[in-house]
Amino acid sequence: MSNEQTPEVLKPLRTWSHLAARRRRPSEYDIVTRGFLYNTDHLSGENVPFEQDPDAPMQQWYRKYREGSALKHDDWDAFTDPDELVYRTYNLVQDGQENYVEGLFKQFSDRDHDAGLSEEWMTRLARLYTPARYLFHTLQMGSIYLGSIAPSASVANIFYFQAADMLRWVSRVAYRTAELRLQPTSGDIGERERQVWEKDPMWKGFRELMEKVLVTYDFSEGLVALQLVAKPAVEECLLRALGKVARHNGDALLGLLNDALFVDSERHRRQTRELLDFVSQREGNQAWIDETRAKWLPLADKAIEAWVGGLYDGEDEDIDSIVEVVKKHVEAAYG
Amino acid sequence: MAKLKRSDWYDFTRDTNWTPKYVSEEELFPQQMCGMTDAMDDWNSYDEPYKQTYTDYVKVQREKDAGAYSVRAVLERSKMWDNAPAPWRSVLIQHYGAIPLAEYAACTAEAHMTRFSKAPGMRNMATFGCLDEMRHGQMQAYFGHEHVSKTRQADWGWKAYHTNEWASIASRHFFDDMMTTRSAVETAIGLTFAFETGFTNLQFLALAAEAGDAGDHTFASLISSVQTDEARHAQIGGPLIRHMVEAGETERAQKMLDIGLWRAWKLFGTLTGASMDYMAPVELRKHSFKEFMEEWIVGQFERQIIDVGLQKPWYWEHWMKDIGEWQHSVQIGLWFWRPTVWWDHAAGMGPAERDWLEEKYPGWNDKWGKVWDVIIRNVAAGEIEEKVMPKTLPMVCNMCQIPIASGNPGGEWSVKDYQLEQDGRLYHFCSEQCRWVFEQEPARYQGHLDLNDRFLAGEIQPPTLEGALQYMGLAPGEIGDDAERYEWIKKFTRQEKVA
Repeated sequence: MSNEQTPEVLKPLRTWSHLAARRRRPSEYDIVTRGFLYNTDHLSGENVPFEQDPDAPMQQWYRKYREGSALKHDDWDAFTDPDELVYRTYNLVQDGQENYVEGLFKQFSDRDHDAGLSEEWMTRLARLYTPARYLFHTLQMGSIYLGSIAPSASVANIFYFQAADMLRWVSRVAYRTAELRLQPTSGDIGERERQVWEKDPMWKGFRELMEKVLVTYDFSEGLVALQLVAKPAVEECLLRALGKVARHNGDALLGLLNDALFVDSERHRRQTRELLDFVSQREGNQAWIDETRAKWLPLADKAIEAWVGGLYDGEDEDIDSIVEVVKKHVEAAYG
Repeated sequence: MAKLKRSDWYDFTRDTNWTPKYVSEEELFPQQMCGMTDAMDDWNSYDEPYKQTYTDYVKVQREKDAGAYSVRAVLERSKMWDNAPAPWRSVLIQHYGAIPLAEYAACTAEAHMTRFSKAPGMRNMATFGCLDEMRHGQMQAYFGHEHVSKTRQADWGWKAYHTNEWASIASRHFFDDMMTTRSAVETAIGLTFAFETGFTNLQFLALAAEAGDAGDHTFASLISSVQTDEARHAQIGGPLIRHMVEAGETERAQKMLDIGLWRAWKLFGTLTGASMDYMAPVELRKHSFKEFMEEWIVGQFERQIIDVGLQKPWYWEHWMKDIGEWQHSVQIGLWFWRPTVWWDHAAGMGPAERDWLEEKYPGWNDKWGKVWDVIIRNVAAGEIEEKVMPKTLPMVCNMCQIPIASGNPGGEWSVKDYQLEQDGRLYHFCSEQCRWVFEQEPARYQGHLDLNDRFLAGEIQPPTLEGALQYMGLAPGEIGDDAERYEWIKKFTRQEKVA
């Protein structure tokens, strides 16, 4: 008898081999998400993400900003989006959300809502609202970068969806810009947004914050700067605080629109919170996150102060206490 | 008041460029990631030909998915598998291994274009492109997953890209080069223009036609659905090239097109070419691969190249010859080295098949036919283990990572190893073009080890075919075999008896 063992012939399985050992039956999310990012395997050499010269420029970019990033985890693929979104369900959810917004627009347009907006409010919208497409677009760019530098597909996908949501926000501002322009009282709307974004002191803080976030190429620091600091600050100002002021100025539509967009924010926060819990399991990560967040917060505070100041410009309000409330909301974004 | 027309507000969604103040332009768009020079400005004039809004995107895509994921479609696919001829099942297993994770990797490419392009219209289109690629990765993986309980090879629908199997290395080498490791400019040309406009049309339309020929209508509609997305986001590169030509950057655009097209050809000529000319049931085959190439590449893509202001690649003439040859040479390689792939490769041989090949490719019998004559003789004599099983690894090209098999066997045998010595190392290429790609940017490729290099470096142990299969992640149950378990040989032996 030969001592050589005949190798076992592998049998068909019920799911992908890497999921087969788990007790739980895999969901559609598991099947089409887990282990989908192959370049974290380093198959052609130690710490070599891509199948090319080990020191080619992009190898170095990923080695530095992803593999070498501060937050560590033994198994990034184990992260689970609490909504378990896949492409198919994302479109289902967002098509529903868009239908709702389309319905809002129709109802308000049928009642000639914009004709009822005061000239004074129109002037303020040109300063407070229509330039927001630039800011939302920076969120689009920042979100998609986080997806591209994320250490697993399950982490990357939440940012890819978020980037698309930011394009949604840009698009809604664009639509409203065009619609408001139809009014004889629209003034500068649709004409001077870039100038306002680049020159108006109320936008300076957000511009500085976002430009600095965008050049933060490291995954971990980018994650903290965008998700924990910049994005909540933008949302608390541009969606919530602005929505409230809009309602007080006869612009119920903007309030409702912003509430509808905030549904996206709530999902992003759920997902980010889950990611934070996931990375905090490993010792040292939480302290690093707290420290990094504290480093970025002053820039966001500055942005909030300048923007909220502009928001209430000309109104008899205690701006300092409103700023404090907004800051508290930002800090509480992740509960 | 009525809903606004898209054209009334669309431009605001892509009027989003600003001048950075707190960071420099170079920090915001590093040359390595962006690739746009000062000569190229006025990025607001970048005009994407296919315009879609977010609202329309999620609506249309939801509708598309509803059909593809319907219960009925699932049932049909399952029935299809049970009734499919063995060579067609092999095509599905090959496709599902080679495609979904590469599609997902393309999300990174689209993300880089979204973040690092200076053209706002391009950034928005690439945002949709990123979601599209996620769709293609997920949908094809999900459908491929339906076969896991039928054969262990179906596990490669997820596993292939996580192994050092040679076709996986070749795929990663190509996709990493075109999709994930280049600037936004180079990605837009190499991926969206050269590869997607030129090749996914071919890959998906050719494969859809082949699926239709094989009677697999659900697979045909699945990949046609994928193609509708490709047709949209593939248009990212065209306007960019026009912009480059206007800015005097024609040479750079041309080089990237030439690199991208050649690299795409090598991989897809291998996977799709061999499958189109050998796998579908011969009585149902409508087009040869060459005919398809001539229609889609020569007929249509050539016009698009000229249209954006570029020239046909310098190797066009050679390539036109290759589209009638390469798939036949590589088919022999794929079949002979069948244990080194994750699918059961079909020989696609029989008297009728040979007649078809001779008709579509006059002279086939005198060239590739002569190799098959020997194989057929040995298989008929029952000497499979001894004479038609590989004992070593194929020699692969240092660029495309595919076995070196260019040229014709038979009377005018012309297989050639194109060599290059660089910094004391000798490189081997399958063609002048692969060597040329290497020479354009040696630093990008030179430290990479191909399968043979790894073998020689002692990374593959034991240094035998068995050791190599283990290195490649192939175990019994996964190792490729003849798709029809050599039953096809009866078509020849029967004929001999009649004669």
